[in-house]
Amino acid sequence: MYTLGIDIGSTTSKCVILEDGSKIIAKSLVQAGTGTDGPERAYNEILDASKLKKEDIAHIVATGYGRAIYTSANADMSELSCHAKGVHFLFPDVRTIIDIGGQDAKVIRLNQQGIIDSFLMNDKCAAGTGRFLDVMANILQISINELEVYASKADNPVKISSTCTVFAESEVISQLAKGVTIENVVAGICESVASRVAALAKRNRVEEKVYMSGGVAQNAGVRNALAKELGTEILFSEYSQYMGALGAAIAAYEKWRKETGGKDHE
Amino acid sequence: MATVQQLLEKFHEVASSPQKQKEYYLKEGKKVVACVPIYTPEEIIHSMGMIPMGTWGADVEVKEAKRYFPAFICSIMQSVLELGINGKYKGVSAIVIPYLCDSLMGLGENWKMAVPDIPFIPMQYPQNRKPEYGIEFTKQAYLRVIRDLENITGAKFSEDNLKKSCDIYNAHNKAMREISSILANHPEISAVNRKDIFKSAYFMEKEEHTRLVNELIALLKAQPKQDNNKIKIVTSGILADSENLLKIIDDNNMQIVADDVAHESRQYRVDVPVDGAPLDNLAKKFSAMDHCSVLYDVDKKRADYIVNLAKQYNAKGVIVILTKFCDPEEYDYPILKGAFDKANLPSTLIEVDRQMVNYEQAKTNIQTFREVLEY
Repeated sequence: MYTLGIDIGSTTSKCVILEDGSKIIAKSLVQAGTGTDGPERAYNEILDASKLKKEDIAHIVATGYGRAIYTSANADMSELSCHAKGVHFLFPDVRTIIDIGGQDAKVIRLNQQGIIDSFLMNDKCAAGTGRFLDVMANILQISINELEVYASKADNPVKISSTCTVFAESEVISQLAKGVTIENVVAGICESVASRVAALAKRNRVEEKVYMSGGVAQNAGVRNALAKELGTEILFSEYSQYMGALGAAIAAYEKWRKETGGKDHE
Repeated sequence: MATVQQLLEKFHEVASSPQKQKEYYLKEGKKVVACVPIYTPEEIIHSMGMIPMGTWGADVEVKEAKRYFPAFICSIMQSVLELGINGKYKGVSAIVIPYLCDSLMGLGENWKMAVPDIPFIPMQYPQNRKPEYGIEFTKQAYLRVIRDLENITGAKFSEDNLKKSCDIYNAHNKAMREISSILANHPEISAVNRKDIFKSAYFMEKEEHTRLVNELIALLKAQPKQDNNKIKIVTSGILADSENLLKIIDDNNMQIVADDVAHESRQYRVDVPVDGAPLDNLAKKFSAMDHCSVLYDVDKKRADYIVNLAKQYNAKGVIVILTKFCDPEEYDYPILKGAFDKANLPSTLIEVDRQMVNYEQAKTNIQTFREVLEY
């Protein structure tokens, strides 16, 4: 039997299909989040990729900011619970998850059973989130994917001290006006995100191993800066951005088992 | 006799319309005195024949008050000043502002400039409230409030009347403690309903509020025991009156079985002693108060108090509702969190302010907390 998890974030929609709660069959990602046709597109794409039909899916759980308004799901679950389930499924030794999404950052501490011990979310502020990186990439007129390339070439990263995205924007412009290289500015931006998220993580107590999920995990500049700030290795994988959807698919399987007593979908 | 639903509707109506209540009392020819958080000697105002009305601000956009305050300061206090500047307290004879935190001191001074037509009366509490000299300090501060009230309103103070008012307030305290305790056995009363019962107390004469609460207590006691599959939680913080936030708690099948909220139960924990001189007794009441972020306590017994409260009511967790930029609560939080963790009592932290329009993050936070508690 198949279950589907859909993670409808602020900027992207992700889907994962699981077979019998244990095998990942397919995944999809669309660069459009809540309030757009992104969720439907991600859903259709994963059905195409998996060669499954709607009626093949026994249970759907939605997560992310758009979870409550996604009517095709059987249930919804918070993204923190889903990230915890997803990461524990693939990396059972992980005790701390740092999830930096498009709009917020979250730090989750797990126990050995993968159950959330404690969690913290950042303030309703773009600083320390993917949105901050988007704004900065836009000022520098480079793509978001290029940030890590530029950061890796820095020899003297600048300090971006403003805690506010708007003020940081003018700080970046003033650094550029001073003739600081884009590489050093980009590295400073990555360090700035990392230092804010590290402060959040330390408030929640960091236990190894540490895994980074969410879209920003793809950015090696932020990942490396975070590893330096926390003094520990930061794990990530190709599934980092899909952890919410994966956790939702696991939750869908658990809910289906609970509701049907494990009786086969057929 | 009213039904439970009718009483809840009455509490909701009063809690939602302080303006209407103020106008009602003014029309009756009574004088109204605004009482700013966190602890104001309402008994004194009541004993002088006036209506003390709680003034905890409102969920409004702060515009005018920004002329007097920086952005990073308590929004409760900012909204009090905003309402004052916008004329919402028109007709009020005076405002009593206790100096229980640094921000409140700023409010008092700014009030004089920003709302000159409503006289400001400071209430200066001592940091060391328990020794004899602390009690005397409190009494002297009460005398200053009495003197100012007499000068401003023309009303007269007498110890005999204060004694009667203290009895009325003690009866109200008792009713509020009892209703809080009884509500723990009534999951059908929502977090929003519970808030209305507590909030309405600030806008009604205490005798009337006590009568309604006692009526509700009698009705609830007479009801058969309800099945309760809700997740029992305790709330803690300065203020938890946002309907949007409380609805999220209700939507997540949670029940507030007890609280450590300054706007709610912290007000009603201690009575005025009965024997002795009434004004001395009122000062002794303040000296006996504890377990609050703005009341100096080197041992921070508040942390264990909340843990025990959760145990007493079989709560599965604590939701700390932290008013943004509230220094006393922020300083207490690490101590509370440490105590919760030590007691294996799950907790979560939600930051709120008077200008919150988006509750999405609070929704995710509370839903996650529910999922953790349900596991």
